[in-house]
Amino acid sequence: MRVTLQTKTATKERIVDTASKLFARRGWEGTTTRDLALAAGIATGTLFNYFQSKEAIAAELIAAALSRWQREFADGEQRGQSLEEDIFALVWGGLKSLRDLRPVLSPALDTVLSPLARSSPACAGDAIRAGHLEAVERLILDSGVPGPLPALTMQIYWTLYLGIVSYWAADDSPHQEDTLALLDQTTKLFTASLRGLKGVGNEHESE
Amino acid sequence: MNMNLSELMAALPTEQGDAQDEGAFANEQLRQIFADLALRPAPVHSLHRLWSTGELSVQIALASLALWMRSWFATADMRKRRAIETNLRLALKTFHRLGYLRGAMIKIGQAAASLPNLLPAAIADTLDKLHFEAPPMHYTLIREMLTNELGGDPDEVFSRFDKEAFAAASLGQVHRAKLKTGEEVAVKVQYPAIARTIDADFRNLSALLFPARFSRDWESIEQSFAEIQRTLKQEVDYVEEAENLRRAASLFTGEDEIVVPKVYGEYSTKRVLTMEYLPGMHLNEFLTTDPSQEARNAFGTKIHIAWWRMYYGDIHHADPHAGNYLFLNDGRLGLLDFGCVQRYGAEERELRAITDKLANGWDAFPEFLRLGARASAKDLANPEYVKTIREGFVWMAETMAEGPFDFGDGRHLQAGIGWFSRLLRKRYTQGHPTYLYFFRSVFGLKAVLYRLRAHVDVRALMEQEQRAATEAH
Repeated sequence: MRVTLQTKTATKERIVDTASKLFARRGWEGTTTRDLALAAGIATGTLFNYFQSKEAIAAELIAAALSRWQREFADGEQRGQSLEEDIFALVWGGLKSLRDLRPVLSPALDTVLSPLARSSPACAGDAIRAGHLEAVERLILDSGVPGPLPALTMQIYWTLYLGIVSYWAADDSPHQEDTLALLDQTTKLFTASLRGLKGVGNEHESE
Repeated sequence: MNMNLSELMAALPTEQGDAQDEGAFANEQLRQIFADLALRPAPVHSLHRLWSTGELSVQIALASLALWMRSWFATADMRKRRAIETNLRLALKTFHRLGYLRGAMIKIGQAAASLPNLLPAAIADTLDKLHFEAPPMHYTLIREMLTNELGGDPDEVFSRFDKEAFAAASLGQVHRAKLKTGEEVAVKVQYPAIARTIDADFRNLSALLFPARFSRDWESIEQSFAEIQRTLKQEVDYVEEAENLRRAASLFTGEDEIVVPKVYGEYSTKRVLTMEYLPGMHLNEFLTTDPSQEARNAFGTKIHIAWWRMYYGDIHHADPHAGNYLFLNDGRLGLLDFGCVQRYGAEERELRAITDKLANGWDAFPEFLRLGARASAKDLANPEYVKTIREGFVWMAETMAEGPFDFGDGRHLQAGIGWFSRLLRKRYTQGHPTYLYFFRSVFGLKAVLYRLRAHVDVRALMEQEQRAATEAH
């Protein structure tokens, strides 16, 4: 039987949708690829035609949630009065959009989202990185920093960002207030480092 | 004003009395430690203010603690001295590099700086300023904190909420807002996670204080730090502060012309405190209006009444610095910030009664030495010790002569600082933990009155408040 693109897309969506429910119900450890295939009504081998691993499915879920949030953020209603505040709002809003996915974040961070992960266009890990960095870069350029930004700047940012996401994934403080403080201090640190790139339009921080 | 380590070092009093070599050794060790600390990377641009506030307080804390520890070098043998030096160096580094939450460090800096140590006037000024400078929070963070604490976005909870803070609190900041019922309020929001770092900070402080275990004063030091920790924990809990505000408010009537802001409990939690907004000036602004001597005296008298009223009302304001007073246009005095308040129990009340007797004669002095100063038999046999403690009371009694006392004469404050300095140098600092905050309060009060250059009839006010308190009981 010939599998159409439409069928493929529908199956992929069904796997992701099923995974979302099973992860929420049974947790990461309690859900196997076999369980996922069974619940999605496909053979385990077929599942691997769509996703290389359980982590890749998690990445797909994370990418979808972040992408929704980034579209909302791009509308501009969440904008603050400084670059520091904008980056804070972007990251914190993103974390809130991942609230239900907290159990799957750590395994994803260890694999597909790791700075050491091998680049694979087929995996959502690359899309998450590209989507987020693009949003941040836009904020930085909008604030008056002349482009293009050095690759190192964005690499430093990505490392800081993953640090915050990892911390948040395991943060059991009330309302994740420890992450709030960490994010606040980190965005201060990062935007301060941009000062060397001249001309950061930052109302709060102009001396 | 800004200070650096070398200025702080220069501000430390020099050794006197001890063998020159011992002092030189200790000085050299401390100088090296401070030199190490000074090698940290320079703060950059926007972080500068944040760091300079945090760093400065840490530096003051370090300077105070180093000053305090210096005396231990003088008495320890060489082997112990090496151990102390190594521990101190490591502990100071740990302390210096402590986490990202610098607000709690500011509080510890303030508390440590108000230990029974001399505070040079320049450092005291800086500490005063710290009360107005805290790590700033942008509105997105404030909104998140308020949503977490009050269960709704500020735009939903209040009819108006100013995005810009109008004042900084030591552990957060204050925003103006309007309740849906129309009242103008001040909403104090605490920086996230501060409260939970206090225990961790104190664990680090214990490491820093490790060498103090060699000291004969250890028990007193340990109790003092337990007291600081207890007070800090109270200070970061705005539910406690709200209770202090309510109790304080109940002590004053309209006739006193002293106002304590009303608390709006339904808009307050452990980290958010919503109070009545009081329009008025802080001391610096008030002084720029070139107030008449009469106005200065009137406010000075109210500041003093407030101090005595709370002292006899068993909720002693332990932190009466300039930032905590508001000079209202109609002549009323506003009292702000009730985070650092000592609630007196039976022990403190007994000590207060003894101290009161000392305002009229020396009969109760032996009792004070035993219960207040916790003097050992060896101390009591030391005429120098007894004389130094006695000098403190003589100094405090200076303001209690008949008629108004001129606080504008800086010699009184200077004499007090001189006495405190001697107390420290001679290590006569053990005592009931309540005195840790009592002296902070006395010096804070007198520093405010000095800047105000007020003439106040202290004795008349004290007797009036004593009488009122006795009648009330």
